[in-house]
Amino acid sequence: MRASLNWLKEFVDIDQKTAEVAEILTMAGLEVEGIEHRAQNLYDIVVARILDIKPHPRADRLSICRLDAGKEEVSVVCGATNINKGDLVPLALPGIKLPDGSLIKESRIRGEVSQGMLLAEDEMGLTDDHSGIMILPGDLTPGQPLSDAMDLEDWILDVTLTPNRVDCASLLGIAREIGTLTKRRITIPEIQTEESDNLIEHLADVTILDSQGCPRYTAGLVEHVRIGPSPFWMRYRLHVSGIRSINNVVDVTNYVLLELGQPLHAFDYHRLADRRIVVKRAEQGQVFTTLDDQTWYLDDQTLMICDGEEPVALAGIMGGLNSEITESTTDVLIESAYFDPITISRSSKRLSLSTEASYRFERGIDIEGTDFALKRSLMLIAQLAGGDIAKGIIDCYPKPWCPPKITLRVDRANKILGTSIDIKEMADHLSSLSMAVKIVDHDQMEVCPPSFRVDITREADLVEEIARLVGYNNIPVTLPAIRPTEENMPEFVLRDRIKTMLVGVGFTEIITYSFISPQSADILGAGEKSDLRSFVKLRNPLSQDQSVMRTSLIPGLLSTVRSNSLRGQNDLRIFEWGRTYIKGNGELPREKQVLAALITGMVSAQEWYQEPREADFFDIKGVAENILEELGIEKAEYKRNSAKEGFDPHEYARIFYAGSEIGAIGKVSKNVLKGYGVEKEAFVLELCIDTLLPFVVWVKEFTPLAKFPSVRRDISIIVDRSVQSAILVDIVKERGTDLVESVDIFDLYQGKQIAPQEKALAVRIDYRSKERTLTDDEVNEIHEGIIDEICRRTGGRLREGPRNGHSG
Amino acid sequence: MKDELLGLRTKALEELKSVGERSDIETLRQLYLGRKGHLTLLLKRLAELPKEERPAMGRLANQVKEELTGQFQSVSDSLTTKELEEEPFLDVTLPGRRTPRGHLHPITQITQEICTIFSTLGFKVVEGPEVELDYYNFEALNMPKDHPARDIQDTFYISDNVVLRTHTSPMQIRTMERQLPPVSIVAPGKVYRPDSDISHTPMFHQVEGLLVDEGVSFGDLKGTLTTFVHQMFGPDTDLRFRPSFFPFTEPSAEVDIRCVVCQGKGCRVCSHSGWLEILGSGMIDPEVFKIVGYDPETTSGFAFGIGVERIAMLKSGLNDIRLFFENDIRFLRQF
Repeated sequence: MRASLNWLKEFVDIDQKTAEVAEILTMAGLEVEGIEHRAQNLYDIVVARILDIKPHPRADRLSICRLDAGKEEVSVVCGATNINKGDLVPLALPGIKLPDGSLIKESRIRGEVSQGMLLAEDEMGLTDDHSGIMILPGDLTPGQPLSDAMDLEDWILDVTLTPNRVDCASLLGIAREIGTLTKRRITIPEIQTEESDNLIEHLADVTILDSQGCPRYTAGLVEHVRIGPSPFWMRYRLHVSGIRSINNVVDVTNYVLLELGQPLHAFDYHRLADRRIVVKRAEQGQVFTTLDDQTWYLDDQTLMICDGEEPVALAGIMGGLNSEITESTTDVLIESAYFDPITISRSSKRLSLSTEASYRFERGIDIEGTDFALKRSLMLIAQLAGGDIAKGIIDCYPKPWCPPKITLRVDRANKILGTSIDIKEMADHLSSLSMAVKIVDHDQMEVCPPSFRVDITREADLVEEIARLVGYNNIPVTLPAIRPTEENMPEFVLRDRIKTMLVGVGFTEIITYSFISPQSADILGAGEKSDLRSFVKLRNPLSQDQSVMRTSLIPGLLSTVRSNSLRGQNDLRIFEWGRTYIKGNGELPREKQVLAALITGMVSAQEWYQEPREADFFDIKGVAENILEELGIEKAEYKRNSAKEGFDPHEYARIFYAGSEIGAIGKVSKNVLKGYGVEKEAFVLELCIDTLLPFVVWVKEFTPLAKFPSVRRDISIIVDRSVQSAILVDIVKERGTDLVESVDIFDLYQGKQIAPQEKALAVRIDYRSKERTLTDDEVNEIHEGIIDEICRRTGGRLREGPRNGHSG
Repeated sequence: MKDELLGLRTKALEELKSVGERSDIETLRQLYLGRKGHLTLLLKRLAELPKEERPAMGRLANQVKEELTGQFQSVSDSLTTKELEEEPFLDVTLPGRRTPRGHLHPITQITQEICTIFSTLGFKVVEGPEVELDYYNFEALNMPKDHPARDIQDTFYISDNVVLRTHTSPMQIRTMERQLPPVSIVAPGKVYRPDSDISHTPMFHQVEGLLVDEGVSFGDLKGTLTTFVHQMFGPDTDLRFRPSFFPFTEPSAEVDIRCVVCQGKGCRVCSHSGWLEILGSGMIDPEVFKIVGYDPETTSGFAFGIGVERIAMLKSGLNDIRLFFENDIRFLRQF
């Protein structure tokens, strides 16, 4: 709502500076988001009288005006045709900057001196009128600054209204609020009309067939009007309020809308069939054209204003083309009605048509104020467009409003607010908001809010009003009793721990949008029944690329790789912890917590101390191992069995623990990389947190530190390349019983010294007993047994050196 | 013999002076003092001398030998010292061997900071669904289907009854449905609204807070949020509570802090008001209590919602919210 300060002053005395008014309103819940200073740069423009007009000797369309500018006489070349000798006009002398930034200079136009410029309204930023030079009222004095002479300077408050305060969607409403807050009385405009002898009942008829949709309809009539432009003062006010001037009658309806918050509509009386108004719902499929020339197909829920034959307006939203005011209109019927908020809201939403009128009806206007607004508009129309006001008004108001009675308990209010305000003060605050207050006893009062405060229906609403008027910042600050809470959910603890760990090993967290393109499933090569295809689809996405909820975090990771590589950032370690959304049978999808990480590019850069190295499978595997160790999940198994969507068929592994698949690691397949426009190899890790959660070891148990020395033995064994190294580890653990403290694969050789289909693996075993020092013989026996078992089960052979080769 | 001996001494000391390297000293030592060195050979000839000359000459020879041995040692020592000074030169300005460093997303960092502050105030962290029933997102929060407040929040719809939650407030309902008072929770998470420009992204983050008990007052709301603001922005941060409207709280309040950029003088960031809006809050509306089956007569409480991006932007001076989700690694590394 844009509120002119000058206009507000017609309703309430304001001594405060504009910024103070803005502050007062803001702190009462009517947030002033901006203040616009109008006509502030018009001080230098003066009133001038045209002394005479001569045609320009060398230009047909130009004339030369001699003007009295107060202190001096000047000559100006002008192209306008609407000026006459004796007119008062605005004059900008050389050196003046206009609102659009252009500078006025003394110049010669086709050989004639021009010492300034005569101005149209739009050139001064007053309205958007450019029909000619602005002709000023005749009682001004040449030389007067224009803004003083016309009282143009104004401040426009841009007030953001919360949905509950529709009563402030008017100058009167905001003025009322200022009045309450500054303890000033409100002045309501007086209505003085001269009515003709023609009784309105004889001229028009109103029938409400749907009193639920239209609880009140008032109408008035002005005959013999002359349609034309509105005077400057009205056009200026409408313009600063953000409303376009149409003609004097329509302008009045908009003016009263802004002033009182009551939407009005003007019909061309002669275009209403049977001279009557009928309020009813539309017929299903009915076609109707609004005055903005748009055609609508209606449903039977749309409330319509009809004449004796057909619809003439979308009730509460917009009038029809068939009954609009035109230049030839002579008699106008003015509608001032109250429509049911829900009815209007539904129609407005269904038609996607929102207007100043529908905005107010949807939120609830003052049902008791329709007749006053009607009379105000009739008076203004008669003033501006002439004409005769028919005698009386029509007022269909089947069930008059009855003020709600709300009981307020003083003790209750104080408890909610944490205050100790007494009953008298509360009553005063509420009375200052035009509420009728009756004190019942020491704790209770009965309060009737005024008809325009449709938001006040309950005790809680009154408590808020009291808090607002006391001032939120005057309510004492206290602290609630703090009680011990339960522990946070384990997954949050886990999340923070893993994130911190990943950051520690060089991974940077990303957050990508939860919605992705539905093509992602195809790019990932998802099977027909794959969860990757179980998309939750958005009905109204911003774009096709963001039209489904993600079923995998990999698209987000790869898109991030791509966008970074376009900026020259190719070496990345990134991760995201987020949800995937899998549509199931229920109304809501399954939201699964997933951790996904990715490595691409160089894992070690070229440095003075190291050679550069590209990321590979074992970089991402190391990350998986790190995380699982942190969670206390030991002995996870890495299996390359059935193919995995999106992964390279040769370089991936599914991760299992206790029979559950908890995640996967591997190289992103070439097709997927291509699908996301990524050039370099990328290795990803996915962990399904929800599956993994039950296996997490929350409390780590202490193992006593070893007291006896360990014995270290290495084995170097040549096996076929297809042998999985994990088998060696398994055999060592199996055969070595609890004397094997640790076993590690510490070397891998493939090359010229052995056959091409072979590889050499070196295994390091630490033997230790908890009870005694192991003897060499004892260890040798177990170690031999292990070697024999390995050779037997893998078909391998020892590579070199003595069987019991000691190392380090 | 005496002259020979002294000559040998002079010559040896002379040559020793011009020695530069340790190996040369060793050669020289061998030459004079070695098994077949000049001095050794000379000493062997002592026996050839007449008996009466032997003691004096023997003494002299020993003196020379001792002197030369001493001199050789001291030159050798001084060379060692020199070597110690020169040889192990370490360029400490070379870059160190770094392990790679990662960064938490700024939104995570701020969310953690907010949750930690409220945890210490006795709030428990909970989370809930992002694809949410219309009932929890709107209706149970006192926003029936035709409520005008729904217009303020454009919504992503999945179906007539399912939306992407537009705020974290559904967690108020879900929490209260599950347990009886007292309740004190914070619920961080993603929320969605169909908007995209320099100050809006279709996905963003909020932290919801809820405290319900007997006798909780608006003063308690002020105290709790004042504590939060002072911990988040510093103990001297000026703040104010301003009436506002949310369908599920009454009275409702926005919390503004004194502009961190201009300290209240007025600047572009605060739209020349000197204040920055940082969160919305209010006392739980009795209607909401009725919906979840709490008795509004005996129970009261407050709720608040904090925009995480907003706080992260204020703290970092960032002015384009979209950068949070572009995931430019150069951006993320700054946090």
